[in-house]
Amino acid sequence: MVDLSSLFHHSGNRWAGVPLLSVERLKSILLVNTLVVAFAAFTVSGWLAFSAWNDNRVISGLATGRDIAVGDRARPEILLARGQFLMRRGRLDEAQALVPAVRISGDRRVLAAIQYDLANARLRTALRLIEDMKIDQAIPLINLAKDGYRAALSVRPDLWDARYNLDVAMRLVRDFPEIQPSSEEPPQETPEKLWTDLPGLPKGLP
Amino acid sequence: MPVRLFLALLAMFVTGEAAGQVRAIEVLGPRPFGYFIGDVIRLQVDVVLDEPFTLQAGSLPRPRPVTYWLDLKTVAVDDRGINGGLHRYRLALDYQIFYAPLEPRELAIPGFSVTATDGAHRVEANVPAWSFLMSPLREIMPRGTGDPVYLRNDTGPMILPVRRWLSLAIASGIASVLLLGLLAYNRAWWPFSTRRKRPFVQAVRAARRAFRSGSGAEAYRAGLLCLHRAFDATAGRAVLADDLSSFLKTAPAFRPLEPEIGRFFQASRRAFFGADARGAEADLPRTVLIDLGARLAEAERGLS
Repeated sequence: MVDLSSLFHHSGNRWAGVPLLSVERLKSILLVNTLVVAFAAFTVSGWLAFSAWNDNRVISGLATGRDIAVGDRARPEILLARGQFLMRRGRLDEAQALVPAVRISGDRRVLAAIQYDLANARLRTALRLIEDMKIDQAIPLINLAKDGYRAALSVRPDLWDARYNLDVAMRLVRDFPEIQPSSEEPPQETPEKLWTDLPGLPKGLP
Repeated sequence: MPVRLFLALLAMFVTGEAAGQVRAIEVLGPRPFGYFIGDVIRLQVDVVLDEPFTLQAGSLPRPRPVTYWLDLKTVAVDDRGINGGLHRYRLALDYQIFYAPLEPRELAIPGFSVTATDGAHRVEANVPAWSFLMSPLREIMPRGTGDPVYLRNDTGPMILPVRRWLSLAIASGIASVLLLGLLAYNRAWWPFSTRRKRPFVQAVRAARRAFRSGSGAEAYRAGLLCLHRAFDATAGRAVLADDLSSFLKTAPAFRPLEPEIGRFFQASRRAFFGADARGAEADLPRTVLIDLGARLAEAERGLS
């Protein structure tokens, strides 16, 4: 026969020293804690909502053509809007200068977007130059555009628009295996060469 | 039998020496067709070495542009451990292809070699190339849509999501106000400062507990005490039988119960000062006491 009384006695002693919380006190503590959590959530989400709303005003202001200065530490979406503003005014180099700040922010979606948009701007400029028969100026722009599309696709392979436009750019100026350093001569792209690579342009075609 | 075993061991030894210390190299790719410009291909390379040999991490290919149309993006090595005298590795290589073919075209991801060593010897493990079929993304001659060159549009501005945070802020704000109200009620802060504690409600609860604990005189006295404390708490001072009339003046809500309250004080005097708890209990049974407490609790709601 096991003597259970000693066990109960022991457990009774063990708990005797612990002051039990009354239900009222527990309710009060719970209430205060829940209030603190709810208020913290309100403060944080309220601040986030306000700053997002405020930043959206900057973004839509830039989109409608207002020249709003933007710091390097701004949100990537704002940097993108600033870049798009600069691109519309043909200030591509200034827009390109925003890319490192976007990269630092770590937002891959925006990074891909700004690089894609920049490449588009360069490609469109190059197409205008080709129409004016300024082929020599167009080729480096097209190559920069290709690098931009590749950079965008490297960050976001699912950006199908970048794939499409990269395909267009690559057919305008085709890539070739790089010439080994043994031959010092840089590859010369002649206008005749370019036109043979322009199957997408109907001009001059039957 | 032992001769055969010896021969088999000898054959293993000899072939092992002859084939080097690299037992197997296998390149496993996804489907070998249906790729477009910009696709990422993950190649899996299984390398099996003899036991003392390990792959040299420095000899693995590094992420870099492999050729003008191919980038190696990531390289991961999984050391699958030694089992049965063989050291197994699994490499995972992510390549991204940037080739713009005019028609379906077979391309190959070039092979590479990695170095394995057992400390004294070095052997090269040659990973073979992997071929696949690449498809064009666009037609060769674009349709006559007006534009000489059709380009996909820009991404446009990215608007930040506000609604999500706003709804969370509204919900947590409402919850905060409700909780603050509850807390104010619980602590009897403004505007609930006029709300009084309900001593009789608690007294009835305490008396029930006391009666449940036993049927003797002690339990009965404890029950009486509970109600006494409720009277004291309501009046803000000790209420004795002689002060009853002045108490009822300050708390007129209890006046309809005056005879019952008088009976309670009599029973209490008999129980405590007369030391006759049994007689008092006969005079004012427990059920009647609880009933009185409940009616007092009901009456005190009209006080505040």
